Amino acid sequence: MQVREINIHLKRNFTKWQKFLQFNGIQIFSESETASIDKTFVWEENGDILATGSIAGNVLKYIAICSKIQGHGETFNSLVSKLENEAAILGRFHLFVFTKPQYIQSFQYVGFHELARVEQGAILESGTPNIHDYISSLPHFDNQNSSKVAGIVMNANPFTKGHRYLVETASNENDHVYIFVVSEDVSIFSFTERYELVKAGTADLPNVTVVPGKEYMVSYATFPAYFLKDDQNVGRFQASLDGTLFKNQIAKPLNITRRYLGKEPYSKTTDVYNEELTRVLPPDVEVKIIDRKQTEDQNIISATKVRAAIANDNITLVEKYVPNTTLEFIKNNWSELRTRLKEGSIK
Amino acid sequence: MDVKKTALAGTLESSDIQITLSQGNNGISIDLDSSVEELYGDQIRKVITDTLTAYGIDNANVKAVDKGALDCVIKARTMAAAQRALDTADQPDWEVF
Amino acid sequence: MEERLRRTMMFVPGNNAGMVKDAGIYGADSIMFDLEDSVSMAEKDAARMLVYQALQTQDYGDSELVVRVNGIDTPFFKNDVFAMVKAGIQVVRLPKVESAQMMLDLVKVVEEAENKFGIEPGTTHVMAAIESAKGVLNAPEIAASTDRMIGLALSAEDYTTDMKTHRYPDGAELEFARNMILHAARAAGIAAFDTVFTNMNDIEGFKRETEHIHELGFDGKSLVNPRQIDWVNKIYEPTKKEIENALDVEAAIEEAHQKGSGVISMNGQMVDRPVVLRAQRVIRLAKASNLINEEGEYIEK
Repeated sequence: MQVREINIHLKRNFTKWQKFLQFNGIQIFSESETASIDKTFVWEENGDILATGSIAGNVLKYIAICSKIQGHGETFNSLVSKLENEAAILGRFHLFVFTKPQYIQSFQYVGFHELARVEQGAILESGTPNIHDYISSLPHFDNQNSSKVAGIVMNANPFTKGHRYLVETASNENDHVYIFVVSEDVSIFSFTERYELVKAGTADLPNVTVVPGKEYMVSYATFPAYFLKDDQNVGRFQASLDGTLFKNQIAKPLNITRRYLGKEPYSKTTDVYNEELTRVLPPDVEVKIIDRKQTEDQNIISATKVRAAIANDNITLVEKYVPNTTLEFIKNNWSELRTRLKEGSIK
Repeated sequence: MDVKKTALAGTLESSDIQITLSQGNNGISIDLDSSVEELYGDQIRKVITDTLTAYGIDNANVKAVDKGALDCVIKARTMAAAQRALDTADQPDWEVF
Repeated sequence: MEERLRRTMMFVPGNNAGMVKDAGIYGADSIMFDLEDSVSMAEKDAARMLVYQALQTQDYGDSELVVRVNGIDTPFFKNDVFAMVKAGIQVVRLPKVESAQMMLDLVKVVEEAENKFGIEPGTTHVMAAIESAKGVLNAPEIAASTDRMIGLALSAEDYTTDMKTHRYPDGAELEFARNMILHAARAAGIAAFDTVFTNMNDIEGFKRETEHIHELGFDGKSLVNPRQIDWVNKIYEPTKKEIENALDVEAAIEEAHQKGSGVISMNGQMVDRPVVLRAQRVIRLAKASNLINEEGEYIEK
């Protein structure tokens, strides 16, 4: 068996690769799943694909081995090993896999550590720094285990009066509040900007700690789900996996017993997310869904509206939605932000 | 001496060992994953530690996933990881060889 | 230089721990650890260290130990040679050799390494892999380039590419190269190795090719799979008639020694040097194939 890298952006390669995966039970090849792939390797004999695996950012995906070949386990180990070595060349030493529950053990056997599992699938990680390094890097408090600790996960793109209201509520009702800011840089406001604005907007609340969510609190919608039977329940799967990960790996060691969520009147996706968290988190973590803060003229505040107001060159409207700390930043970067919105992303 | 950057060497194939070295501040700390941990764990740790010491590395986190490697393989993989982590993969340290 | 059997030279990918560890158990006449084509660019350092450590600690029995280093124009070449000389390798195989000068350049680095690591000068041997038209045409000067030379090997993959052809089942595309390399090797008194046969499913094709190169006079063949070792050895087994004849020659030599005579004769004929050399080679082969017992008699299988 020989291994080589293939370019799946070439139609002929893609078709052959896809056919092999389909034959081995993988059915989802949506753009959102395949676009992130950086490198794909195939193991071949006499021109036939016998195994394949891909690297997409820090995720190993589309891993499959033909069930007919001998030495299945040995091939699996070589395959994962090859992907890890290739990822290392790209400077990536902290890797994730999302897989069907029946393959958890195979990945554990090659040094992966399970972060969360639900009925349809699981997330595992390998390498360094890992979840334990992450948890120990966060600030801890005296008597944390006997205190009332709450958690909020937010994208804050950007931080609004609505976010502020959510944080204030949690701050009033608990001894400590952790705010995990989603770390991915896919929003109009960069991670550093979002993070700094959340810090600035909550600086007056002494029991609030703002921390980066790192790889453990990414936008859950980016969780790979290509191995599910069909794409009907992708959203629910992603949300429940995200919730389980939060409950077991984040809430437990930090003694977080409450998670605050903003009520979502607009987005069906976020609604499903809240619903899944409400199903997954209790009883260990109580879910508190807080009504959205409204402006004086009964307008629900949202970050989407802030971005729209910037795009429409309407600073008066922005003023209604965001606290002074955020407003100042937006004013100082008005034209830059408008350019980013026009181009669709940060540079 | 501390390692300069994270580095990985070796594979997960049988008779091999995969070594990942990263910065640490607590001496040489080894997280070993091996099916023969009970019988040979101490020996594997010793080979890794001795090899790192030979390179003058006294602070590092080591993750080792062992698939039944002989001592000579453990040493070779640790050497490769060490030289990569020290950014000297193209200048073999003949004293350690 | 010591004459030895070189029927099988088994390739072992230098970064494969399992194969490096087990290379000694198959009874190959020569084991060739590969640091070149079977090792990806990013793993050159790791493979070099793995082979080095294995050579220091593993028992490879009576096999001749060879290493294929990376090409002379690569950044890995010098470190490869240094590490392998330090490890006490018996033979350094240089790929893509096109001139005698390349072998002399290799020898210079080998000498440097022997001096640096306190290895007895001259003990590290070398061999050349011929992989191009130029290499084939220069085979005679390459074969005679240095006292350290033990052999020439044909590498057909690159050679056929250079010749704008590819491998065919009848091997016609390799005929000239095979004969050229064989003649160059014989003229210089060194060994000749045939190229690898990579299609593991075509066992008949492999046997046919091995019979052919045996017939031409090659010492042996490079192999990619240990399963091929027995097949080659079988083909290189001398016949009963050859062995009995060789034993007769040996007896005649012994008799001449006893009589203190300088002339060896058998059946009233004088036995000359080529006949003696062939008999010695047949006996070596027969012993390796377990066809002669301790009393020096042919064993009927």
